[in-house]
Amino acid sequence: MDMTKKTRELISALCDDEIPEADQELALAALDGEDGRQAWDLYHRIGDAVRAADALRAASVPDPSPGFTSRLAERLAAEPLPGKRTGAGDGADPTAQLGAVAGQG
Amino acid sequence: MTTERECDQLLVERVQAGDRRAFDLLVAKYQRRLMRLVSRLVHDPAEAEDVVQETFIKAFRALRHFRGESAFYTWLYRIGINTAKNFLVTQGRRAPTSTETDAERAEGFDDADSLRDINTPESVLASKQIAYTVNAAMEALPLELRTAIVLREIEGLSYEEISEVMSCPIGTVRSRIFRAREVIAEKLRPLLEVSADKRR
Repeated sequence: MDMTKKTRELISALCDDEIPEADQELALAALDGEDGRQAWDLYHRIGDAVRAADALRAASVPDPSPGFTSRLAERLAAEPLPGKRTGAGDGADPTAQLGAVAGQG
Repeated sequence: MTTERECDQLLVERVQAGDRRAFDLLVAKYQRRLMRLVSRLVHDPAEAEDVVQETFIKAFRALRHFRGESAFYTWLYRIGINTAKNFLVTQGRRAPTSTETDAERAEGFDDADSLRDINTPESVLASKQIAYTVNAAMEALPLELRTAIVLREIEGLSYEEISEVMSCPIGTVRSRIFRAREVIAEKLRPLLEVSADKRR
């Protein structure tokens, strides 16, 4: 990764308030330059555009169908209650039991 | 004041204590959010709905392992994204990229309420072009970049939460979001330059 790309990545993280403390100075220094300011402006405009586009897109994403809740309720009723895990202690990793579905909470 | 995370955790504990109705409350709360997220990956609405159903079933079965070390919604999103990815794999296809369907969706924006507040025909056209371009650029992104930018910009998740959802290091999240922005920027830059020129 060349320096310019790395710096732009830091500015991207700065836009999200996710800049590591060690990189703050470098990122803020980059904002003193024209390229840095343009990247800052562009990334924020992209965020605004993505959210605006999503708001418009949401109109075309249907809510779950009317039968969704009843079908799900029927399936859930057939499931045994999950209960609460006991014995293994809070530090154990249940990922293995969940397989690839999800890690622990 | 109870935070959203604390409220969800209370409901989770009620389910774990044997209250099925508490899970119905979580379903009611998250079904639309999950549908919107999954439909970013699985475009057919009926298939997306099936994925959402499976996600809730898997979450219910796995709830006994949930300990509240992360927020319920990041855990649920993680299950949803993995279920969607598995679905696409079993169907032998990836999430479609920019297609005619996207164009049809873009045309469907014509009557969207949020466009009615914009004043001039030029600005309406520019906004529609930007919205279409952004959505097309998003759909064309590789799945991992698309998921990362959606979770950040639309769902508002922190990098740490995204790293939990996507099961990857925070540095990878930062890189994916940056790369997604760079791709979208390439597509968007000409339109933004035109808009800026017209304002001068």
